[in-house]
Amino acid sequence: MYRMLSVDLTNGKIEEKDVTELFERFVGGTGVLTYLAMQEITADLDPFSETSPIYFAIGPLNGYFPSMSKTVAMFRSPLTGDLGESHAGGRLHLAMLSANVHVLRIVGKSEKPVYLSIDGDDVSLVPCSSLWGRSALATERILREKEDQRKGKKSIVRIGPAGERLSPIAAVTVDSSRHFGRLGLGAIMGSKNLKAIVISGSNCPKIEDRRSYQLLYDRIFQELVESENTYKYRDLGTAANVIPLSKIMGLPTRNFSQGFFESAQNISGEHFADQLLAQQISCAHCPIGCIHMGVLRELFADPHMYKTLKTSYDHELIYSLGSNISVSKAEEVLKLIHFVERQGWDAISIGVVLAWATEAFQRGLITSEETDGLALNFGDTETYLKVLENIARGKNEFYRDLEKGVHHCAKKYGGEDFAICFNKNEAPGYMTGPDAFVGYAVGVRHSHLDCAGYSVDQKYLGRSEDIEREVKTMYEEGVWRVLTNSLVMCLFARGVYAPQKVVECLNVVGFDIDEPKMNQIARTVHGMKYLLKERLGFKFTNLSLPKKLTNVYTSRGKMNESDFEKRVELYFKFVEEDKRLASRAL
Amino acid sequence: MAKKLVVKDRERCIGCYSCMFACTRTWYGAVGIEKSAMRVKNYPGVEGAFSVRVCQACKDPECAAACPTGALRVSKRGFGVELVKELCIHCRKCIKACAANALQWDEQEQVPIVCHHCGVCVRYCPTEVLAMEEVG
Repeated sequence: MYRMLSVDLTNGKIEEKDVTELFERFVGGTGVLTYLAMQEITADLDPFSETSPIYFAIGPLNGYFPSMSKTVAMFRSPLTGDLGESHAGGRLHLAMLSANVHVLRIVGKSEKPVYLSIDGDDVSLVPCSSLWGRSALATERILREKEDQRKGKKSIVRIGPAGERLSPIAAVTVDSSRHFGRLGLGAIMGSKNLKAIVISGSNCPKIEDRRSYQLLYDRIFQELVESENTYKYRDLGTAANVIPLSKIMGLPTRNFSQGFFESAQNISGEHFADQLLAQQISCAHCPIGCIHMGVLRELFADPHMYKTLKTSYDHELIYSLGSNISVSKAEEVLKLIHFVERQGWDAISIGVVLAWATEAFQRGLITSEETDGLALNFGDTETYLKVLENIARGKNEFYRDLEKGVHHCAKKYGGEDFAICFNKNEAPGYMTGPDAFVGYAVGVRHSHLDCAGYSVDQKYLGRSEDIEREVKTMYEEGVWRVLTNSLVMCLFARGVYAPQKVVECLNVVGFDIDEPKMNQIARTVHGMKYLLKERLGFKFTNLSLPKKLTNVYTSRGKMNESDFEKRVELYFKFVEEDKRLASRAL
Repeated sequence: MAKKLVVKDRERCIGCYSCMFACTRTWYGAVGIEKSAMRVKNYPGVEGAFSVRVCQACKDPECAAACPTGALRVSKRGFGVELVKELCIHCRKCIKACAANALQWDEQEQVPIVCHHCGVCVRYCPTEVLAMEEVG
């Protein structure tokens, strides 16, 4: 049985519901949540209202198979107004399974700050005014200690001050350093006065067919540990991308002015590993161990008083707080990441905002009057730290605006041509060519991970373009990822979990499913997402390429607007078919 | 010679819990970590430092000595313990007695979870934190 726990923060009411039928129809994770969101998220719903729901879900393979280690969150994005979806690793998926909560739905608004405590069947709202204002890192530290007596592995999900301030680029942090980073979930928790969720339990589901399960498990486990597909994530981590991307002019540099970063070497995965890597760690039940913890030792008083910061780094952060603002020292990137971690912003979004602000300053759209005397220069980490501090303090209107996202800022101060966002969401760290950009635009959550355009671009390097085939590849990947996000699988394991293997896994846990049926479900959910997105105002015909990107040299040369539109149009046609499927299923 | 489970190199632990999943799967036919006889623990606020607790394979175990009914007794192997479930009165004295804080408690069954020193956890450790060692 799959179970949904609903918590109403207004009146403390807690309800349980059997959602097994939904798991049978939509597998789990993003599939089930999209269906639930369709029932509840209406066009006129204010993301910060009491009735605005937050959902978290796991899927049928979490806990059962290694690297099925993610949790999906769904909500209405306060950044875009569109459907919000974000994924995080850590221990949350395991804690949800152990608490026998496959879907967690939170509505309402608490009068005062609380955290939601789920300890098996014991569910309560704990007042926590004294935690309000504490950093995302301190909150975890305190709650882990405070809740240390309870049995079972805890997962701690919380917001930093950015979420409390309702910044629409506020993230939600999970355990030591994983995030529901994108699209502003942190602000919704903040609007509900929900500082954190602490969840654990001791439920261990019984395995039906032990022999088949064990054989399949061993095959997958071995492959995950030994395969080439996962090696790079363990070794240098996603930061392995930095040098190769810069070499092909695909690493966004100085607000997407160019794809080659002259200091790529200094902020590369290799450099981080050699100089700053403390160790790799992993999410619960994942033998890959992709989380790279960097350690920064700093002298704070002469002659020998040191402090040490430990912060995880990844490609996206190195792009957004490194190359894209021209920061060329790994130590400085770590410092910026650490500040962002404490405040609890989406690291991609805040980096894109800094890059835009620098360009706007240099073009005279904003002046030292707005910046309160600071001169913004690419590469100037010290000033960037001051800017972040000013945002955190809400120093003046300009700084308060910066944490509202780059779209908001450009509308108000100008510079829309170089505000690098797609459907109002700040762009991820690839400028590999048209497929990357189109992917950000058309993807269900406007992430590079929706349909992996950046990877399609790289397959077409040095080859003549084939627009139809490229878009079809992206669409098919997009549909497949709807399925993997319903499981809920970590994408780093995607090379090991081919469709046939996923079918085997689902069969072992009792799903009557084959590849065609799986594809049908994925397409239906894919269609459902766009039906819902369109209800919330999304339109393919409104999608545009930030003007600046029509004039920069990507890995595949320059891209023009009509090329962009043509690809979007092709993607739209595929989606139309899925929407028809979805309408029939609903 | 019989072998026992030991922590060979704690600092290599990445906290993936594959060991605890393996233990729970093998001995309980279940999914999760809470039925595991060993524990990988993380400290509050300490990024990435894991403490790995395994049964110390005592020849004269404190936990068995503390058992008022003889339910927990020295294993026939001559080290570590075994449980006669029917005799257990769920008093938790064994848990408190283990100075290494290594003996685990089954919340559902309300009995201690004994380590069989079978080594299945070792097989699933991707970074060789755990090992089997001859009992001296």
